[in-house]
Amino acid sequence: MRSSSPKIERARPLLGTTVSIRVHGLVQADAHRAIDEAFGEIALVHRLMSFQQPESDVSRLNRDASMRTQDVHPATFEVLHWARAIAAASEGCFDITVATRLVEWGILPAPDSRYPPDPHADWRDIELGEDYGVRFRRPLWIDLSGIAKGYAVDRAIEKLLRHGATQACVNAGGDLRICGSEAEAIALTHEKPSAEGIPFLEVENAAVASSSGHIERRRHDGDIVGPHVDGRNGGAVATDRFASVVAESCLLADALTKPVLILQEASDALLQRFGASAHLYDANRGWRHLPGAQA
Amino acid sequence: MRAQFVLVPFATLAIVSPACATVYLSIAQAQKLMFPDATLTPDFRELTREQVSAIEEASGVNVRNRKVQIWRVSTGGWFIADEVVGKHEFIPFALGLDAGGAVKAVEILEYRESYGSQIRNQGWRDQFTGKRHGAKLTLTKDIQNISGATLSSRHITDGVKRLLATYAILVAQD
Repeated sequence: MRSSSPKIERARPLLGTTVSIRVHGLVQADAHRAIDEAFGEIALVHRLMSFQQPESDVSRLNRDASMRTQDVHPATFEVLHWARAIAAASEGCFDITVATRLVEWGILPAPDSRYPPDPHADWRDIELGEDYGVRFRRPLWIDLSGIAKGYAVDRAIEKLLRHGATQACVNAGGDLRICGSEAEAIALTHEKPSAEGIPFLEVENAAVASSSGHIERRRHDGDIVGPHVDGRNGGAVATDRFASVVAESCLLADALTKPVLILQEASDALLQRFGASAHLYDANRGWRHLPGAQA
Repeated sequence: MRAQFVLVPFATLAIVSPACATVYLSIAQAQKLMFPDATLTPDFRELTREQVSAIEEASGVNVRNRKVQIWRVSTGGWFIADEVVGKHEFIPFALGLDAGGAVKAVEILEYRESYGSQIRNQGWRDQFTGKRHGAKLTLTKDIQNISGATLSSRHITDGVKRLLATYAILVAQD
């Protein structure tokens, strides 16, 4: 009775935010089974890649990887691989080793680590070896929260599709992916809406992720800092900007919001390289759409 | 992959609708999902002042409501329905515990959006029907997706922490 199968949507607190999963095209029992398994994928990423949970792969790496090679789960390895690729392509704007700064600014709690991080360490010091082995060449701390949420959404979507969902959406606190033949509207919400109107994206088979430092901004040594750091110099990224990135995968969309906030128009080439586009807003300049027409 | 950006003018934003809620699951549905083959028997309790203090001490979270909506599961385990205060609104959620008191599942039952509620309102969206050119934005349909800066779910994790302390003090010591 596929014709009578309505949409089914559920939500759970995971990855430090609210994750909602919606499927269409499955009978109720199948939909709930698919959603359970999709939540299972997100819970796996949460367990492996949490900065705060002491037993996660990330915590273990931050504790020991500068002393000896640590074996990690293939999922963690895959995210580290992408994090390195995006760091290289963005010339270090995106850098998962900025956790050190975020701890300094009080945005992340200090990890239980056996060493203080080397202030000169960066993403190039993360060595990905054979058989999922990871080693840090210098003492450093990583934080995957700028990329793992997107990866978790991708894993969940793939699970739903394998179960036969015809239309689906997984939304991890605003980082989302929509699959199916039907276009859906997404409202982009940021703290200070522009006078011009309410922004929407209409997307079909795409991922959208948004970032802004506005909510978490705080003062540190007289400067305003937020949850985003320019990996090239350790500086705070302006917290009054808002960026939404559209990409094939939510991992890409999620990770690319950071270089877009930093590089603005200069991220055109990076976006094109990954087949992505971005919508950037701040109160002075309004909306800017990237890559620009001249790119 | 296809995407199109559209700005819908504020000028037309005449009526702000009451808060709009997404209902995910009823209590009965959540019970059936967490404990498919079991019978659940209500075992509702009211916390004493001493129990409230003990729960707050153990969890570090304030207890707002002394009534505990708890069910005993025939196959072992417990089900608790509760709510937390989100950024602006109450968020009802359910916690399933196995026979040993470990978390089996947490489901959010309902979510009310404060920001963005007006754009989910059918009357408001109807104003735009046929007024747009070029794009075929489906504003007349339900707008179910919102993307913005990530909001923390700390209030829910705190709620779970409080219920685990409630369980430890109320049930595990029975």
